[in-house]
Parts: sequence; C-alpha cells; structure tokens
Amino acid sequence: MANELNFDKNKTIGPDLPILLPEKKGKAKDMLALSPAANAILNILMIIVCILALIPIYVIVIASVTSEAALTENGYRLWPAEFSGIAYTFLFSQGSIIITAYINTILATLAGTAISVAMVGLYAYAISRPNFKFKGFFTFYAFFTMLFGGGLVAYYMVTRQVLQIQNSLWALFLPSAFSPFWVIVMRTFYRANVPNELIEAARMDGASEWRTLFQIVLPLSVPGLATVALFSAIGIWNNFFNCLLLVDEAKYYSLQFTIYTTLNNIRFLLENADKMAGLVNISALPSQTFRMAMAVVTVGPIIFAYPFFQRYFIRGLTIGAIKG
Amino acid sequence: MGAETLTSSGPEYTVKKRWFTDKVYNNISYLIMVLPGAIWLFLFSYLPMPGIIMAFKTYRLQRPPADFWIQNKFVYSLLKSPWVGLKNFEYLTLPTNIDSTLTYIRNTVLYNLLFMVVGLVLSVALAVVIYELTNRFWAKLYHSILFLPYFISWIVVAYVVYAMGSSNGIINDLLTQMGMKTIEVYKMKAAWPFIFLVANLWKYTGNGSIIYLATITSIDRELYEAAAIDGATKWRQFVHITLPHLIPVIVLLQILAVGRIFGSDFDMFYTLPNGAAVVKDVTYTLDVFVYNMLRSGSPLGYPAAAAFLQSVVGFILILVTNFFVRKTRPELALF
Repeated sequence: MANELNFDKNKTIGPDLPILLPEKKGKAKDMLALSPAANAILNILMIIVCILALIPIYVIVIASVTSEAALTENGYRLWPAEFSGIAYTFLFSQGSIIITAYINTILATLAGTAISVAMVGLYAYAISRPNFKFKGFFTFYAFFTMLFGGGLVAYYMVTRQVLQIQNSLWALFLPSAFSPFWVIVMRTFYRANVPNELIEAARMDGASEWRTLFQIVLPLSVPGLATVALFSAIGIWNNFFNCLLLVDEAKYYSLQFTIYTTLNNIRFLLENADKMAGLVNISALPSQTFRMAMAVVTVGPIIFAYPFFQRYFIRGLTIGAIKG
Repeated sequence: MGAETLTSSGPEYTVKKRWFTDKVYNNISYLIMVLPGAIWLFLFSYLPMPGIIMAFKTYRLQRPPADFWIQNKFVYSLLKSPWVGLKNFEYLTLPTNIDSTLTYIRNTVLYNLLFMVVGLVLSVALAVVIYELTNRFWAKLYHSILFLPYFISWIVVAYVVYAMGSSNGIINDLLTQMGMKTIEVYKMKAAWPFIFLVANLWKYTGNGSIIYLATITSIDRELYEAAAIDGATKWRQFVHITLPHLIPVIVLLQILAVGRIFGSDFDMFYTLPNGAAVVKDVTYTLDVFVYNMLRSGSPLGYPAAAAFLQSVVGFILILVTNFFVRKTRPELALF
C-alpha cells in the first residue's frame, strides 16, 4: 500500500465557498429556474416528506402528555383524549436514576466535546502543515485506523483490562473523544481556509508556532471546529455503546442506557416505587407516558444545540468534507 | 522554537545531532500538537489490534508470575494461552451453528448493501431537489427538518417503534378502527427489514445529503447555463454535469462503506428490536452476535473468531475495492 495518501492532492471543492445555497439572481435564474409546475410538485413532495419525518417525534411528545388512563383505554393516538403532565412531574420528582444519568451525560458530553475539539483540531492542524516533516506518517497513522481494527473482543479486553476505564465517567466519553474521520475533514478545512502565506507571514514576523495557531489560525477555523464540536456532542450525548460495554454500576449510567433499560424493564419503576409513594398511587403509575416523557427529555438538550451551531456547521462541512 | 532559532547548528554538530535537530527540534511544536491524538489512537485503536490473535487461541485468564515483564493479566493471558489453529472458526461452522452464522452474515451484508444503495440514491436526490427549489427559505427549512432526525438517538427511535408497532400502538389503533387484523412487530419477521430501512433513511438521509449539496453548490453555474442554451433538459444536465462532479465524493464514501460491510450500526440493530428473540433471524447482525457471545460467558475465542472475520474481511474488501478503482479511475482511489 502506498504510504503517499491521495489526500495530499488537496482536492477541495473550491476554497471560496462562503455559503451553501447561493442566491440565484439575474439572468441565470430565468434560464435555469424550474418551471413553476415542477417547482410546485417538488414543494408538495418535500412538505409531505417533512411531515412524515416529523411524525415519530410528534408521536413521542404527544404520548408523553397523554393521561395514562387515555393511553390504556385508547392506545396511542395522534391527538390525545386527555392531556396530563404527570409523567414529567414524576420524572423529576422521583430523583435518583434519571437525574444521575442526566448529570453523567452532561458532564461526559462537555468533557468529551472539549477534548475532542482540542485533539482533533491540533492533530489536523499539524498534519495540514506542508513544513511538518512527519505529516505523511501521522496522516497514515490516523487514516489506517479507519481501515483496520482489532475487533470488538480485543477492544473490550483492552479497555477493561489494560486501560481499565470501566465503571467511571471516563468510560462514557474517552472512547469517543477522538475521530480520524474528523481529523481528515479538518485537515482539508485548514488547507482550504487558512492561506499558507498568512501562516508563513506570521512566522516571519516572529510569532511562535503556537501563537500563530491561536491568533491567526484559530479565528479562521471557527466553522470547522464548531462542526467537529457539534458532531462529537451529538455522538457522546446519544452514545449507548460505551455504557453498555464498559459500565456495570448504576451510578455511572448514561442517559441513553438508562432509558433503554427502562423500555423493557418495568422493574425500574417498582424499585423506585417507595420514592414516589407519597406522590402517586402505585396502581395509577404512569408507566407508558412516563417512558415517553423519558424519551422526550433525552432528546431535549441536544436539540437546542442545533440552532446554536447551525450557522457554522453547514459551512464547516461544506468546505471540509471532501477526501475523508 | 522554529526554523530561525536553528541557524546556530554549525559544523561542530555530529551527523546524528543534526538529524535530531532537523527532524525533531524543528518540528517539536507540531509533534506536541499530534501527541494527544496519537496517544489516543495508540490506546484505543492500535493496542487492540494484536488482540486479534485471540481468534486462534483458547483464551484463559491467568495471573502473571511476579517476575513476568508486564504485570497485566490480559497481556499475559493473551501471550500464554495455547494456539488452537482454526478450532474457534470450526465452532462457528458446526452443524448446529452454521445456519445461524450464515444468517447473521447474510443479514449484515444485505442490510449494508440496501442502506448503501437506497441511502446514496435518496441523499443525492434530496441534495438535487434542495438545490433546484426556487424559494431558498423553504429549501433551507426542508433541509433543516430532514437533518433533525440525526440528533435523535437510536434508543429514542426504539421508543418510537414501540409506540407505533407494539400491540396497543398507533398502527394497531388504526388497523382496529379500519376493522382489520392487528399486528405485533416484535413477533413479525417480515416487518424488520422495512423498519430498519425506514429508520436508517429517516436518520441519515438529511445528514448524508449535506456533502452532496455542498459539492453541487460548488459546480460552476456557467456549465448549466451553457447546457441550457444548447437545449439540455434538467435530467440531461444532471447526468452530464451534476453526476460527474459528484462521482469523486460518491466513490470515496462507497469505498469506505465497503470496508464496513461486515460491521453494522450496532445501536440500531441492538435496541430497535428490544431483545425480541422471535425476530432474531432478521435482526441479528455480526456485531450483535459478537456482542451477545462476548457477554454470554462462552469461550472468548468464539466471538473473537467472528470479530476476526469482520476486521480482516473488511480490510481486504477495502484494499480490493480501492485496487479496482485505481485500475479504472486512478484519480478517484482512496490511496
């Protein structure tokens, strides 16, 4: 296998691509615009597709605010016979497991995202520099792990018996704190967005490598780094596998793992029955709405990250994702 | 600590010292930058690689003697466990196991091929439609909505499947209202390929189309204008302008996907069926199979043998695919 990776040709889709969807103006519009009929058909089609895509989210939200009695009697409905917020009251009043899982997941997501952005950003910057002597080696070193791995069994044994990160908060984010894929994306991003002349000029003026990085490169790299941050935050927030594989103690459970075990483990509710004995009658336990409310609060915070990152992330991806 | 501080390296330096100066001191900042990532890759990716030999051993956990060079139970046991040749692979092909092994391999490969083909077509189609729509506001809104499912974990999707398909779910509700027979997805084999396909497309199409949309956006509009003047229809413009521009990205992503054809989206296949044993034949992939064997307490060599197949076959496939791509279109090859 050639050590010289094809990435080095730096085939980007064009460095000067500030926006994803250019305004179509002037003559070109008339010539290239869809016919009004085709446009209308496509719009209707897209509206239908969007509604279909939103239905699953809608179902969960509606089920979570349906009263348990209505749910038992009528099953799931697109519009509930009777509304009830008791599932949410119950969820945050019973305390232990959901709250613990929430705190674990928030901590893991924050730590994992910060570490991931730092490690990916630095690694990718170094291998994007033409004057780094070992750039070929370190590109291959990262890229090779995308092609070959030791397999699940070896990974399980190494993480548990060599690194020994099981049953700790580390287990929830450290295995997801770096990604060769995003290294390759960011490497292309730096090459396309940070002109080499700018870096060399800074170095000529006597700025150290680190000062150049923080004062020149970093401000220009916000869209790319924000993209990495968004995707690693989603990845860690939604991660189920790390917890499944490496955590056996309930106090380190992640949110996803907790709600998964709840889905087919009604025992969870019975174990916590004493905690809400004063709040609600056991026989009126909101088991199904409760589950749906859990699903809703699980999605909650990560959705809020979307508008915050959106203005960056499409630009980051737009320019960066080729050859990787 | 860059190049200009090194001018002092005169003839008094030995050759070896100059090599160190040129290669290491010159690049010390860059080396420090790659260090954290390099350590992570070493620990989480390279360290498990030698463990692949477990597939050819009967792994027995043993405590290393006090004078052994490394005091780690796993490393010691890995080295000292006896070689057994292909015995672990033979277990997977025993008359009692061969059917399930082949079924899980078939599931893994067919689901991957299905997702690759349908996912690619729909992602490209979505990107083209979003680009062509006249009203930019609506186009962006559609795209934002269709990207949203990417934020939702497979566990929540498992809840959706439950709410829709369980015995008192929405689908049965509708079926009852229409006076039809009810269904129960956790007992219905035929439903699962459909559920996985829909769930996969729902979650990944919006995300997958971003990269194609970005590529289409970068195509010079004059190409389209020239084609339009020559009377080319939208379809011919797509075939002769858009598609050729998309080919490099498509080939790249498909080569990587081929390498993962023996892997699978573990969370989806593991959580959506909720452990329903009845539908095992259509929901188990090699990943789920390996994980369940690993956790069932069976000798570790068995799941290791299955995991070996995943790693090595995936690696060989990616090399072969890349080889053929390089033969036909060298500029599109991954390496």
